[in-house]
Amino acid sequence: MFNRQHIRNFGIVAHIDHGKSTLADRLLEHSGAISKRDMREQFLDDMELEREMGITIKANRATIRHTYKGEEHMLNLLDTPGHVDFHYEVSRALAACDGVLLLVDATQGVQAQTVANAYIAVEANAEIILVINKIDLPSAHPEEVALEVEQVLGLSADEAIFTSAKTGEGLDELLAAICERIPAPEGNPDAPLRALVYDAKHDPHRGVVSHIRIVDGVVKKGDKIRMMAAQTDHLVTEVGKFTPKMTAVANMAAGEVGYLFAGIKTLVDVNIGDTITLASNPATDALPGYQAPNQMVFCDFYPGPGTETAALREAMEQLWINDCSFTYEPVTSDALGIGFRCGFLGLLHMKIIQERLERESDVNVVQTAPTVTYQILLNDDTVEQIQSPSEMPDLSKIVEIREPFCRANIIIPAEFIGVVLQMSLERRGEHVKTEYLSTTRVMITFNFPLGEIIYDFYDRLKSFTKGYGTVDYEVTGFSGGDLVKLDVLVNNVLVDALSVIVHRDKAQFRGRRLVSRLRKEINRHMFEIPIQAAIGAKIIARETIKAFRKNVTAKCYGGDITRKRKLLEKQKAGKRRMKNIGNVEIPQEAFMSILDPGD
Amino acid sequence: MASKHGLYVHLPFCETKCGYCDFYSVPLMDRPTSDLVSAAIVELKSRLNKGGSIRTVFVGGGTPTVLPIEDFRRFFKALGEGLQGHCLEEFTVEANPATVDAEKMGFMVDSGTDRVSMGAQSWHAGELATLERLHTAADIEPGVSIARAAGIRRINLDLIFGIPGQTEASWGESLRQTIDLGVDHISCYGLTYEPGTRMTAAKNAGRLMSCDEDFELGLYRQAIATLAEHGYEQYEISNFARKGQQSQHNLIYWRQEPYIGVGPSAAGYVEGLRYKNVADIGTYVRWMGERGEAMLDGERVTGADRAGEFLLMGLRLVEGVDLDRVSRSCGLDVLGVLAERIDRMADLGFVRLEGSNLSVTAAGREVADGVISELYSALDGRCEQTVSLPVLQVPRSGD
Repeated sequence: MFNRQHIRNFGIVAHIDHGKSTLADRLLEHSGAISKRDMREQFLDDMELEREMGITIKANRATIRHTYKGEEHMLNLLDTPGHVDFHYEVSRALAACDGVLLLVDATQGVQAQTVANAYIAVEANAEIILVINKIDLPSAHPEEVALEVEQVLGLSADEAIFTSAKTGEGLDELLAAICERIPAPEGNPDAPLRALVYDAKHDPHRGVVSHIRIVDGVVKKGDKIRMMAAQTDHLVTEVGKFTPKMTAVANMAAGEVGYLFAGIKTLVDVNIGDTITLASNPATDALPGYQAPNQMVFCDFYPGPGTETAALREAMEQLWINDCSFTYEPVTSDALGIGFRCGFLGLLHMKIIQERLERESDVNVVQTAPTVTYQILLNDDTVEQIQSPSEMPDLSKIVEIREPFCRANIIIPAEFIGVVLQMSLERRGEHVKTEYLSTTRVMITFNFPLGEIIYDFYDRLKSFTKGYGTVDYEVTGFSGGDLVKLDVLVNNVLVDALSVIVHRDKAQFRGRRLVSRLRKEINRHMFEIPIQAAIGAKIIARETIKAFRKNVTAKCYGGDITRKRKLLEKQKAGKRRMKNIGNVEIPQEAFMSILDPGD
Repeated sequence: MASKHGLYVHLPFCETKCGYCDFYSVPLMDRPTSDLVSAAIVELKSRLNKGGSIRTVFVGGGTPTVLPIEDFRRFFKALGEGLQGHCLEEFTVEANPATVDAEKMGFMVDSGTDRVSMGAQSWHAGELATLERLHTAADIEPGVSIARAAGIRRINLDLIFGIPGQTEASWGESLRQTIDLGVDHISCYGLTYEPGTRMTAAKNAGRLMSCDEDFELGLYRQAIATLAEHGYEQYEISNFARKGQQSQHNLIYWRQEPYIGVGPSAAGYVEGLRYKNVADIGTYVRWMGERGEAMLDGERVTGADRAGEFLLMGLRLVEGVDLDRVSRSCGLDVLGVLAERIDRMADLGFVRLEGSNLSVTAAGREVADGVISELYSALDGRCEQTVSLPVLQVPRSGD
């Protein structure tokens, strides 16, 4: 058994693009864990999509042997996801760590996710080592950035370590700091087993592999284990370490980090944050902090052109086996047919899932506008959760509609305060505080209705702040609001997929914009088409698509037949891509048009 | 070839190319025409030799009457000889009011021509200039007189409405002048901006303002009313005729009956095969010389596609389409497949179903493309699809 005093469990957290994966690569390379020849850029980001999008979606890991002051140390690196949507996953990964490298780009300074991640690390009670990276770049100003961090997060600028993951500068110093400053894991190898599941992956041949941190006790092959939250028992078939390839070991004891196979077939049977104990000698208390995955953003996926519902279902099942962080269930829309209502951790998560679906299964997905969960207080004092405007109960039964709120930290250059404040207030943001990080940069904190920022807040912020603004949010709870369901009628037929829940003050504006947008999306027909926005029975906006007055080919003789038929074939194919509602052909783009908040 | 066929011959020469025209034609200039005429005669003889009988002929283009006199004579002589023994109901030649003369008209009549179709287009000088027509309003009446003097009784004049700058008054004047000539057939075409034409380019560049849709519709209705008043009955979207004077040849197209096509870019429909000749004079001449045919591609149209053709052509006719006939011809229950859409469009007042006969109403004709598209798209792959024949390589044009 490895001397626990020489084990260091740590993670790296950073804002997107601040160089986390590169630093992880260099640490592995520097310690000789993998040879330079095997080194693939960003070794730890092993999903194609992650590499392409330049982000890490799932936490990855490696165990590094490093000799410091003549003693061999076991450095267990947990690479954590960096985006707001994966807040909970980050928090579990950091709960498995005793220390955290807080990585900040020396050219960009503190960003919203730097702050968010640092808070999670503090909550997890981990020792934080401030690392200012990319010091090789000409525009780097590491000292100022260190002061900024000190100002916002109270971490001493003097203890910051300056590195360049690219050139390797500062890496020895960093490895020394890891050994010096991060405490050795506590825990009692003789106590009943308690292991934190901080991640899980699906292996097509071997089932689920759980990534675990042993807090107390020992686990070995042949043990019968119990998932404390799920209350299921399994037989351990293998335990091992990431080097970074999976390598079996005889056992793992308190303080160690590694993986475990236990004949578990699907990811849904393993909950991240759950505690593993022994069935024969169970621990009395589970480790703290477990939460069931909480999907906050919902939208429907329908089969797109050339895709059958069955193919989409199969694709969803396949993906879900690999990543059960999203939920899906069949849903039927009058307008779009049979599809799936999907729940996501956030917007980026939704985008990733959609792209993975299309990429990995070659299906075409039509996605409806994302919405959030609403709680409806009914007049019989019960609360109903709805995830789509179409599930809204009858108005006469509703006492109150509650929407989810979040607290968002927005970090921007000071010159953009005005525009960002305005944008935030327009989205019903409630200003909490404004803090100066330095003379030029500020952090503004707002409470927002989640529904107001899920769609495009981030993109807008980026464009309003010339790319400098960053935001991170955390869902805080539900609160009542004056919300109404806004319906759209095309040719006097209600189109369920176009309904939205909006604040009453914004209903008129949204309604008008919706109908004018739809008027542009829908082609003229042979008859006049009214497009209306309504709250209940009250029409609040209307536009009309005029009928074709004259639409006829003047000349059509012998030589034109084939040409004309091919044109009609094309029109037929075009019509097939549309949904016919109330005899009106609505292009699929129209269903996305409700997303556009417009100006 | 047991059934009776139409014969279309395409002579692809024009004095100059009109700004709106997208047919295959080339300006004559000093181009030699004799090779093309010889090749067309070869194709004509070869196709006529395959047996069967011809009942209508239409010689179009281009402007057949621009051919130099010697080639013109040679061509019509060969055509007349080739048609000996066929029982013709109608023999039409397209002519330009500015290029007909008594001599050419004589050759035409000698070959059997009994009908002339002339592109009058407009009686308004400004409108003719906009269309880039070569003739003037003053040429129209003499052109008709030359034909009549040669013994041609049946005459069609083409008119165009929706020309930029056109007014109700100028359109009314063109209609009146045409009617006054006492011709038995008038075609009124709404100006169409075909891709790749000079007028379309001018419109896209903002140099030309196309007509307002409502205004153009008004002109169309004006034509229908004026012509009806003077005994011209509408029998197709753009065609009006005195009693019994409908174009028998064009009815063949709209009724899905067989026809032979001869000449560059000509299309034919023979024994269920649709074919199209190469649209290039040099290639046409060479292929006729080397292979004895100039077919570029062809397809056998069957099933739902065939039904679609019946609809797209037949519904242009006021008489409509007999869906039972379509069903028998395509092996598809067309009435069953279309029932729901027909109901819907009958409710909108666009179509009428009487027994098994489906026709488009006057209101429906104004938006006929939409009506046809709506019906067409309901014909789904419920039966075998059209088989395309191997497409020949298109050689680069040599001329």
